[in-house]
Amino acid sequence: MDILTVSHLTKIYGEGEAATRALDDVSFSVSEGEFVAIVGSSGSGKSTLLHLIGGVDRPTAGHVLLNGSDVYARSDEELAVFRRREVGLVYQFYNLVPVLNVVENMTLPVALDGRAVNRDRLDGLLDKLGLRGREGHLPSQLSGGQQQRVAIGRALMNAPAVVLADEPTGNLDTRNSAEIMQLLRDSNREFGQTMIVITHDEEIALAADRIIAVEDGRIVRDERIRR
Amino acid sequence: MNAMTNFTLHSLKANRVRTAVTIAGVALAAALLTAVLTTYFSFTDYLYRSEAANAGTWMAYAEVGDMAASEGDIARATDDPRVTGVATLEDAGFAALTEAQQEKLGIYMPILSVSGAAEDIAGIHPSEGRMPENPGEIMLFATWKDYGGVSLGDTLTLSVGDREAVLVPGEMATASEGSMEAAYGTAYNVDPTTVEIVDGTRLNSSIGYLEATQDGGIFNEQLVNERERTYTVVGFYNRLGYTLSTGVGTAGVTVDEPETDGFGEVFLTMAGMENSDQVLACAEELFPNDHVVLHSAMLRYMGVTSDSSIWSTFFGIVAVLAMVIAGACVSLIFNAFNISVAERISQFGLLSSVGASRRQLRRAVVLEGCVVALIGIPLGLVVGLAGCAVTFALLGPAISNLAGNAAVGFCVAPNGTALVAAAALTLVTVLVSVWIPAKRASRVNVIDALRNAGAQRVSKKGAKAAAKAARTGTLWKTGGVVDRLFGVGGKLARINRKRGTAKGRAASVSLALAIVLLMTAGSLNVFLGSLVGVASGGEAPGEVSVTAEFSTERDSQPSDLSHSEGDSQPSGSEDGGSGESADPAGEKGDRSDGRLSHAEPVTAASVLAGLNERFASEAAEFSKAYDYLAESSGAQGIGWLLRSDAAMALPESMVGDAFRIEGGIDGGPMADGRYGTTGSVLYLDDEAFDAYAQGLGLSPADFRDGEHPRAIALAQGYGNNGNVYQLLDILREPGTIEVVAAAAYEGRPAHIGVAYNVDATAEATCMLQPYVRDENDATDVNESLTLDDVELATVPVEVAAVTDKVPALLGGPGSGVMLIVPESLAATQSLGGEAPIFTSYFDSADGDHEALAEELATRGGEFFHDGPYEMAFYSYNDLVAQTDATQQLAMVVNVFCLLFTVILALIAMANVFNTVTNSLILRRREFAVMKSVGLSNRQFRRMIMDECASFGVAGLVPGLLVSLAVSWLLYSAVTQSMSGLPFQLPWTYVGLALIMTAAAMGISVAYGMHRCKADNVVEALRADSV
Repeated sequence: MDILTVSHLTKIYGEGEAATRALDDVSFSVSEGEFVAIVGSSGSGKSTLLHLIGGVDRPTAGHVLLNGSDVYARSDEELAVFRRREVGLVYQFYNLVPVLNVVENMTLPVALDGRAVNRDRLDGLLDKLGLRGREGHLPSQLSGGQQQRVAIGRALMNAPAVVLADEPTGNLDTRNSAEIMQLLRDSNREFGQTMIVITHDEEIALAADRIIAVEDGRIVRDERIRR
Repeated sequence: MNAMTNFTLHSLKANRVRTAVTIAGVALAAALLTAVLTTYFSFTDYLYRSEAANAGTWMAYAEVGDMAASEGDIARATDDPRVTGVATLEDAGFAALTEAQQEKLGIYMPILSVSGAAEDIAGIHPSEGRMPENPGEIMLFATWKDYGGVSLGDTLTLSVGDREAVLVPGEMATASEGSMEAAYGTAYNVDPTTVEIVDGTRLNSSIGYLEATQDGGIFNEQLVNERERTYTVVGFYNRLGYTLSTGVGTAGVTVDEPETDGFGEVFLTMAGMENSDQVLACAEELFPNDHVVLHSAMLRYMGVTSDSSIWSTFFGIVAVLAMVIAGACVSLIFNAFNISVAERISQFGLLSSVGASRRQLRRAVVLEGCVVALIGIPLGLVVGLAGCAVTFALLGPAISNLAGNAAVGFCVAPNGTALVAAAALTLVTVLVSVWIPAKRASRVNVIDALRNAGAQRVSKKGAKAAAKAARTGTLWKTGGVVDRLFGVGGKLARINRKRGTAKGRAASVSLALAIVLLMTAGSLNVFLGSLVGVASGGEAPGEVSVTAEFSTERDSQPSDLSHSEGDSQPSGSEDGGSGESADPAGEKGDRSDGRLSHAEPVTAASVLAGLNERFASEAAEFSKAYDYLAESSGAQGIGWLLRSDAAMALPESMVGDAFRIEGGIDGGPMADGRYGTTGSVLYLDDEAFDAYAQGLGLSPADFRDGEHPRAIALAQGYGNNGNVYQLLDILREPGTIEVVAAAAYEGRPAHIGVAYNVDATAEATCMLQPYVRDENDATDVNESLTLDDVELATVPVEVAAVTDKVPALLGGPGSGVMLIVPESLAATQSLGGEAPIFTSYFDSADGDHEALAEELATRGGEFFHDGPYEMAFYSYNDLVAQTDATQQLAMVVNVFCLLFTVILALIAMANVFNTVTNSLILRRREFAVMKSVGLSNRQFRRMIMDECASFGVAGLVPGLLVSLAVSWLLYSAVTQSMSGLPFQLPWTYVGLALIMTAAAMGISVAYGMHRCKADNVVEALRADSV
């Protein structure tokens, strides 16, 4: 079953002569539980694609259907709620809130939604992410790898329809990169979490079920990896 | 243009709004400084021009005893390179005047022969016609034209002579005994000259009129060597400056060669003088044999002065204002640059990483400051000058009127020094403000900066708090009204506040500063306003008032028929015809008691009968005077009253707090348990009294019994409560007051005064003190009398009502006991009063109060001139004109305060805008993160509102507290010179401060949120890469 359908998605930045076509009529769909890697060179439009799926930007044309409903048919307020519940975002630079500690950062989407924190899930994630004993630490007191684990925890906390990760290992050393990728892989397997990861690292991409290559705003390759 | 300059200009352009606000702040600072300094210099210039118009531009003059002998000195002075101008005024005799002329013009008309640039240097300006140019021409004081019927072109034949001192027969004078001081001079702060006079000394124009009976000296004077002179009148002057008004009269100005060389004054202007000592030294060197006088006022206004105590006070105020402005601006500019640097810290890190040296980084920020200054300062200078020009144009006439010389306009005098000083001071302010941020930029750590400054946002205390908040049980725990109101957004705001470094503090401080600045301006306004208000006094009952007091009786020769009824001469008058001139001081104590002759011994009762009779007669005369004045065309009589004072004894039950506070009012307990004081009795004209009594619900008829006086008393009056002068309770309840109406001692009339603080340690601090007067010199003779020695006549006055309501004719409460009775009571009761003071009020029917005042003056003069009594004083007041002057002063004060307030407010607001806006913009990436994980716009708004509310409270409370302290300090300063002011907070300004800071916050937040929102989340999230 397709959890995500992207159809004819186009994004143009700027106007007139300065206009840049970041995405040009992109269509694809992702099944539930799939682990997709999007690869492409710098400026190919892959981050734009991720942001459009994540509901933080609005497309110039086209649609994104998540769980069967049109993401951009929503108002800004609804879109905020959508981001809390349906999407988990992981960035290259972690993007944690500096004044919030580990558990607060992880549970921020839950809190924003005004719901009670699922303690079991939080404890499970803390164990899984190896953040036990660091619950009260602030981002500034953590290493890069640890910060990225917190970011992943935040993305997984709500069990969203899809987790979107933008170069999650781009800022990490090899060992940490491997660990983070393993974590993503594990969550995909254990929770059946749909995962879309942007990377330019072919080795990381090979860990995915499917690789979509983007170049100049268009999909140039879409292949499933058979294991 | 090198790379760093390029970078700087680029970043200024990128932050257009903040750059504009910062430039505006610098411009405002420069404008305010320019305005303050320009006002200072313009005022100095105005005073200079005013003084030059009144007295001339001379810096010093020499009093030359013999002009002929000093011919050489004058020639030398004219040629001296230091001297820029010379004018001489030489005595050319004194014209005799008729008695009628003397009333208006003085004893003589001194004829002065002028030469040199007298118009400018000696301040002699024709108001009509021209200066004399040829022999035989004369310029006269304008009074000759107005009252003397002389016109331009008339010829005037005068008897001109020389003044000569005449020793009073019988007095022996040696030269030293005959010394006296020249009469004039003190008014202009010049050293009085001492001249020695012997019998036959020729007197010059600097010496006042000699009349032994008037001045207590031993000389009279006479005009000798009289000769006839004919002049053609070519001009008039209407401004009596220093030079043309002499001790014996107003001068006639000619260019005739004086026939006898004698006294003259040589006026000098000089160049290159640095202080008054140099001016004096130069003048004394040129005129070694003569007395030299400095024009101190002029030298002060020119800035050439050695003694400058007053001037330094003035300059001090200007300096303080400039410092306040500079302080406010340092705060504004410092904040702006601090934020600008913090925002771009990663850029500085990048620059540093590609090899920018610390010096280059520092320079980049300093350059930014310089660019801002380069645009802001000239803008400020122009705005400041323009502001002054507009303000002065509006206020100039009012200021000129207040300064008393409407002819000299108050206008902007652009001054290079002021502009340069304002520019330099602003530049220094900018550089000082920029220095710390510049150093911070230069010290940036490359790695930290590139890794993103966000990590440094948490304080150490915040980390501890964060560690504690990790227990999952309390995670995101909410509760209470605030949480419900602001939700998770509010919670986030509060976490940020608790754990973040002091980002909000700058905003709070700038808010507090804004409130303090506004409130300071407000307090200044309120207290200056009260000063002006108090100075103007209470509400005047009418447009014009006429007051008068009689002194002695005139000769009992038949007076004007219209006053024949008033001729009921009290018996036993022996000093009525003494012909003493009216006593200008109006001291009623000077009237002699001699109406009752020594020949027949008197009793208290007979003294009282005499006093009553005289009082009734005076009251009747004033009643007629009022009717006569009220008949003036265009006059509407408001009413009149008589006021007299008397010693009184009050029962303990009646007296209020004022008597019980030490030093409250002049009065206190006496040995017999009663309270003594000198109170006032006010006789209101019957119509006014009846209206007043009816207004209180009393029957006027109850107060008409001439044998048993009844009165209404005022409950409150001004007194000192130990701290300040204010309204105190004088009387508590109705009762009977004993008024000491008359006394006799050994068959002679005696007086009773009230002695206070006679024995501070005893219960009784007050006593009735009898005394008698020596009739020959009218001075009190202390014979250490006690009450036992004298016979008293007292009159009980029943106080039927005690009220807070003040009769309209009084205008406001008085100080001490005030008994109000109808005028008809004066026919039988003097109530201890002698020589009542008559006050009457009139409105003009057609609104022309000036004409009414003139007419009342004339009519009053007519009436009283031929009346049965000499006048102690007679005066009229144009109360409207006085109010106008007060209002003008208030307007000047208010406008200056308002301008000061507005500009300070703008600076403060710019500061708030910068700090609040930037504290938001600095965190836009953080906001983007929150948004990306689902922070809705509503939650975002709530978060920001919660934060702003806390900035507001954090700034408001200390701001208000500091303002309170400042207000109190100002109040203390004002009350040192002025008592009776209640301390009040400028509530309007408190409100204004709240509204303005709230508005500034609102605008700043709206702008900041707009910037954050407009910032695409995606863009913001990427902002970590430079």
